[in-house]
Amino acid sequence: MIKEFFRKRSINVCIVNTGGCNGCDIELVSLLASRYDIEQYGIYVHNNPREADVLLVSGPVTLPWKNRLKELYEKTPEPKIVVAVGACALSCGIFKEGNVCGPVDKIIPVDATIPGCPPRPSEIIQAILKVAPIALSKREEHLKKIASEN
Amino acid sequence: MNVVPLGPINPIFKEPIRIKLIVEGETVLGAEIEMGYVHRGIEKIMEGKHYLKGIYLAERVCGICSYIHTWTFAECIEHISNIEVPDKARYLRVLTTELERIHSHLIAISVYGLSIEHETFGIWCLNTREHVMDLLETITGNRINMGFNVVGGVRQDINKEMIDKIYKKLEELRNDMKNILEIYNTGPLINLRGRGVGVIGYKEIMKTRAVGPVARASALPESDWRLRHPTYKELKFKPVWAKEGDNSARTLVRIKEILASIDLIEKILELYQESTGAVRNRVNIKGGSGEWKNEAHRGEVTYKISLTDGGIIKRIIIRSPSVMNLEAYKYMLKTCPTVSDAVTTYISIDPCISCTERTIVLVDKKTGKTKPYSFK
Repeated sequence: MIKEFFRKRSINVCIVNTGGCNGCDIELVSLLASRYDIEQYGIYVHNNPREADVLLVSGPVTLPWKNRLKELYEKTPEPKIVVAVGACALSCGIFKEGNVCGPVDKIIPVDATIPGCPPRPSEIIQAILKVAPIALSKREEHLKKIASEN
Repeated sequence: MNVVPLGPINPIFKEPIRIKLIVEGETVLGAEIEMGYVHRGIEKIMEGKHYLKGIYLAERVCGICSYIHTWTFAECIEHISNIEVPDKARYLRVLTTELERIHSHLIAISVYGLSIEHETFGIWCLNTREHVMDLLETITGNRINMGFNVVGGVRQDINKEMIDKIYKKLEELRNDMKNILEIYNTGPLINLRGRGVGVIGYKEIMKTRAVGPVARASALPESDWRLRHPTYKELKFKPVWAKEGDNSARTLVRIKEILASIDLIEKILELYQESTGAVRNRVNIKGGSGEWKNEAHRGEVTYKISLTDGGIIKRIIIRSPSVMNLEAYKYMLKTCPTVSDAVTTYISIDPCISCTERTIVLVDKKTGKTKPYSFK
């Protein structure tokens, strides 16, 4: 019971740069600073796909990433949500003609999108907080399912 | 011998790169780096496009040092077609570049702090950085990809209120940085952690052609390309350097460079207030080819462009500093006693993978043979 209660309030985030220009990643890193302080909402940036609930994908998917991103999505434990950050992740942006194989939603299912080049940190926090309740309800259903099976 | 693979997604790395450390027990013997995850083919996309589209693409080569790429691109084209830039624009360009250098160095120091598990130090640097981002936003209107430079000048002027705000924030920033320098010098857990780890000497620097803060921390102050830039010559710029060549010296050089940049900004604001006129000239592009070098935050960045008369880019070559610094990493590994030291050494050279992912070709000068580059 205690474990269930507290796990609702901790969302682990994994940042995946699939070939962007670093701009979105820098804005994601600046979320750690005390001005935005992402940890006060119970969101932790761990960069570990195996314990992540939310995958933040930034950048157009380059050719070496095509299979890797699928593997990474499969490795993430089941109640999971994918957020595409930035213009490149939504539509490949200006790298459409380059060495890329398409936007993120062509490779893996995307649940939420944040437009902007790059989006402001406040917008990213807002998006994660809007998506988080869905992740939590999904997790509750998942936990109930496991409990009923046992 | 065992292999410890790190990446492409790793808690420490912010960018995708795969490092295979060859270890025996805890001792690191060597490394292989697998690149290519962020290669988008920017140079190929730029071919056959107008230079107004080119400057937009050059900004997206790298997100951390986005401004210096547009500056070098614009100056290269100005050099080819003999375009004069107004004084005000020259000073505003240096002002913005130095502000960006401060934010880039602060993020490098903070990631180094996080990688040596001293989270307080890292978060302090990130907090200080937010004030610099505010200044960049007031001057250019954007935080990361600013879109401030055009060929022939800059997009907009700054006013008196902004100058007052910059002076006020710089004073706060100087106090913060002095505090950080004192903590770095006296805090035993921060400074001692990097002493004698990842040492690289003068000989190896000349072998690997390492540039930027890595070279300057190994007693090579003349590697700074700001010494050869016409605007910096007016400011009587002097580079910061150290001679130890280890992790702690590289971070110390970065902290001192931030203080030097604050002095430079104050000098440039005085010069700016004396100058008058517009911030942008009408341009007339002539065809030709040329080369321009600038000091980016990690070392020298080179642009080679050939243009047609209308301003269509025929071919462009971008050389960014991190390639040479990653090559120097091979020699630094010899003085890394443990795996965690190898990781902090990697962070201390402040690699920027988005810059690095160009097609690299090695040319043998004697025989003229070419071969693709691989890190082994």
